[in-house]
Amino acid sequence: MAKRSILHMLDPMPNNSPFDINMALDAGFDVLIPYNNVKLDSVYGLTQDATFSRSPSGVKRTGIFIGGRDLGLAMDMLKTSKQAMVPPFDVSVFADPSGAFTTAAALVTCAEKELKAKHRKELKDCSVVIFGGTGPVGIATGIIASLAGADVTITDHLSVDTALDVAKAYNRRFNCTLKGALANSDADKARLVAHTDIIFCTAKAGIQVLNAGVLKEAAQLKVAGDVNAVPPFGIEGVKNDDCGEPLIHATNAQGAIGIGALAIGNVKFQLQHELLKAMLGPEQPLFIDFRFAFNKAREMQFGPGVN
Amino acid sequence: MEKPFILHMLTTAKNLSPFDVNMALDAGWVSALPYTNVEPSEIQGLVQDAIFSRSPKNLKRTGIFIGGRDTKQAMDMLNIAKRSMFAPFEVSVFADPSGAFTTAAGMVAAVERELMAKFNTTLEGKNILVLGGTGPVGQVVAVIAAQDGAKVKLIGRQLDKAQAIADMCNNEFGEGKITIEAGADADKAEYIKTADVVFATGAAGIELLSAELIASAPQLKVAADANAVPPAGIAGVDAFHNGTAIEGSKSGAVGLGAMAIGNIKFQTQVLLLKKMINSDKPVYLHFEHAFETAREYIKSSS
Repeated sequence: MAKRSILHMLDPMPNNSPFDINMALDAGFDVLIPYNNVKLDSVYGLTQDATFSRSPSGVKRTGIFIGGRDLGLAMDMLKTSKQAMVPPFDVSVFADPSGAFTTAAALVTCAEKELKAKHRKELKDCSVVIFGGTGPVGIATGIIASLAGADVTITDHLSVDTALDVAKAYNRRFNCTLKGALANSDADKARLVAHTDIIFCTAKAGIQVLNAGVLKEAAQLKVAGDVNAVPPFGIEGVKNDDCGEPLIHATNAQGAIGIGALAIGNVKFQLQHELLKAMLGPEQPLFIDFRFAFNKAREMQFGPGVN
Repeated sequence: MEKPFILHMLTTAKNLSPFDVNMALDAGWVSALPYTNVEPSEIQGLVQDAIFSRSPKNLKRTGIFIGGRDTKQAMDMLNIAKRSMFAPFEVSVFADPSGAFTTAAGMVAAVERELMAKFNTTLEGKNILVLGGTGPVGQVVAVIAAQDGAKVKLIGRQLDKAQAIADMCNNEFGEGKITIEAGADADKAEYIKTADVVFATGAAGIELLSAELIASAPQLKVAADANAVPPAGIAGVDAFHNGTAIEGSKSGAVGLGAMAIGNIKFQTQVLLLKKMINSDKPVYLHFEHAFETAREYIKSSS
């Protein structure tokens, strides 16, 4: 009998996300085992326990998923897990805390696609402002866009210090060049959108961050993407399933378009599904972080030769 | 390939009950995943994570089970879960904290069966005592019996605690439409004189009704005992009694023991877990549905 495929789901939080559980089972894993309240220093031992207990053929039917809410911690766990493995006892590991890596990869590649199609521009030619930029999805989006060459500013809605601290911490860690700014008042927001090419809205669900008045100030805006699927949406005038529809309130930005949460969500969903499937595929062992997720998302959007 | 049936099992306790896990997997759920120490405030987030990761078609193969120990909290969590979803992103939810909803449903439905079979009557207007009634099973037995028209007295060792629980049952579970009274355990010799039915739902291994009190009950018809650990909760009712005459009862009362009740509880829980799988529309199941289902099971098996 073929060995069943097992996904060990490590999570620093008290519970796993039901989202990831549905996704993993739907991608073909036979058995999921949750490990909760996992600390970084237990990852080494857990990884070795997971790998040394199966034959090399069984190892190919084994994977580790790392969840949680903290990007830095998830990346540390991924690294620790990788270090704990001894070939041929190495299994695929996929980190996607809060689904942030796959959501960010989907968001950035959706924008990249519209940018190429409608404005004949590349990310590296563009400035980006991220609203709700200090949460998991905002940070991951910032890092990915920055590493792709964009000039990225992440904003916090309460504190400029938070924005600056987060930017500094992740710049040091991932060699990116994030800037930080405060986006509290409409005046702050208007100033930020006035000279940016791309807006990403990764703020809390159900909160409108940019209203029509602020959008009117945008002079060179090309693409605006919003991941908030719960009304009111983050960017006024961008509907859930918009995918390249004109941004009606950005009256001073010629050809600006919007991308809504469902359009991004569909790409994220496909991406996470493919990545989970790949963990059991012929290419393993895979170590899937935000960079891997972004490259895979680009292949899915632009074809296999893109990277 | 068809996607697997996934049951997300939420509990406020630090572990799930292995009872519920076995039941869920045996009923046809392919994967049963635990979420422990869940706070009511986390329900919305967990539910929305569960519904947004599958297509409406596959959401029919997705469910949420709510365990824990607290009946009111489980009902609150069921309601929050229901409110967190919107069509077509909906899944079935089943609450059965401590197995109390299905146990209570099995108990009341079995009593109803005996009343009809042996005394040709119903619960309507009957005087009911729920001994050890402040626990999860006792509360729900009281509510179901009261909703079925019985006059219910919920008995506890401390009258003020029993009163608080009776009030909670009336207001929360009965939505103000039922009137369960409270009584003190010390006064049960008085209450038993007019009792038609007694439920014993106290802690295991504690006798709640003595042989002497059974003998002093002039109109007692059925006595049901949820306790499977000797000594029995009701003197003379052993775990395997299933409508058996109680020795020493001058009114010809019959007994229902824990095994007989447990069987109906078991079947009821299986049927409800299967209903979640087979229903085309999402269902939200709690003690009322458990009682309906227990009645249907009894009807189909008689």
